Amino acid sequence: MFLRSKGSEELIGRVKEISGQDPHLCMQCGTCGGNCTAREFMDFLPRQVVRMVQLGDARALRCRSIWICSTCLLCTVRCPRGIDVARMMEALRVINLRRGREALPVAKIPAGLLGQVPQMALVGGLRKLSA
Amino acid sequence: MEMPYFPGCTLYRKAENLDASTRSSLAALGVKLIELPRWTCCGAVVPLARDNYMGMVAAARILADAAKMGKTLATVCSFCYNVLKQVNYVMQRDPEARQKLNNYLEEGYRGEVRVIHALEICRQNPSLRAAKDRGSGYLRGLKVACYYGCTLLRPAAVALDDAENPAVMEEMVAVLGAEAVAYPLRTACCGSYQVLHEGALVAQKVREIIASASAAGAEVIITSCPLCQFNLDWWQERFSREDGGFRPVPVLYFTQLLGMALGVPPGDLGLERHLVDPRPLLSGAPL
Ligand code: SF4
Ligand code: SF4
Repeated sequence: MFLRSKGSEELIGRVKEISGQDPHLCMQCGTCGGNCTAREFMDFLPRQVVRMVQLGDARALRCRSIWICSTCLLCTVRCPRGIDVARMMEALRVINLRRGREALPVAKIPAGLLGQVPQMALVGGLRKLSA
Repeated sequence: MEMPYFPGCTLYRKAENLDASTRSSLAALGVKLIELPRWTCCGAVVPLARDNYMGMVAAARILADAAKMGKTLATVCSFCYNVLKQVNYVMQRDPEARQKLNNYLEEGYRGEVRVIHALEICRQNPSLRAAKDRGSGYLRGLKVACYYGCTLLRPAAVALDDAENPAVMEEMVAVLGAEAVAYPLRTACCGSYQVLHEGALVAQKVREIIASASAAGAEVIITSCPLCQFNLDWWQERFSREDGGFRPVPVLYFTQLLGMALGVPPGDLGLERHLVDPRPLLSGAPL
């Protein structure tokens, strides 16, 4: 069981502020995860990430899911409660990135891909996943 | 008709053939694209954090410059289209963001430019049907899977067409005399920039999308996104090397198909740049 702490309120507040979304609107239907591009590669489904944000559970900041998200916006367009879930995932990323915690240091990009991918992949990937 | 045009950085490097085929096929429809005199990368992805104004500066700059040239700005890369359209939407609707960005840029831009995608130019072009009749007609019956991906359609506020049931590419394919196949994954995500970070995710998405299109009988896939094109092309080439039984489906830009139908010289279309070579399939064509 997860118990709220002072940090919980802070986390909820920051995600609300950065994403502009109210996590408490979520009714835990799971539509977001059912549609999610990256669901099979995530440790927590988007529904579970939103639940952690509702509770102020800091595991939301440490989970893998936020870095596996491809910002496809399928969750966003299909949430029956009108929550822009992708913005919540991004808020969790940027809270990390602004503390220097990144998922994609340039050195980790496979060398065989670096010279081959279109420029937009590099600009986009580094913007979403690097500090 | 002349129209201001933003190519975007990928179209100057890896997707030169998207740029060339867009310019030449639209020229065949009587639309001359005039490249903006100065431009930068649009930023590729739009910031989803509400307090990230810096992530919108480049696109706001491009839009403010375009406003000095005319009322519309044409683009074709799906990412550029999405970023320009979303930032334009913010400039129209969000007074705080508008003021911050304008102060920074020393501009007074209010979102008055209309961002238009090459597919929309085709949709509203009266000469598409007539121009196609002048062409060779060798696309007749070709089975085409239109792949939209994410950024032409989401979020719904900037969608080029119905976000869940688009038709603009299928309509174009039908006018050109080819056959658009119906398959479920045409609006799915290919995994996008995760190719740099979680390749296995992209590999799986590509397998699913190709299987879906193949099951519907697709002989060729068309897209307007250089990253979708790369992901689908690069992984299929890999699958073919690893598994002799894998049947790859060539992935073209819609502008290449359009150009072929309109009789644009093949040399202007850059078909040879794709990894899964589309030329054998299109060998009935004068390539
Ligand atoms: S789709 Fe919306 S309401 Fe349903 S679980 Fe996801 S965020 Fe909550
Ligand atoms: S935006 Fe991210 S969380 Fe939402 S469906 Fe796409 S991959 Fe999943």
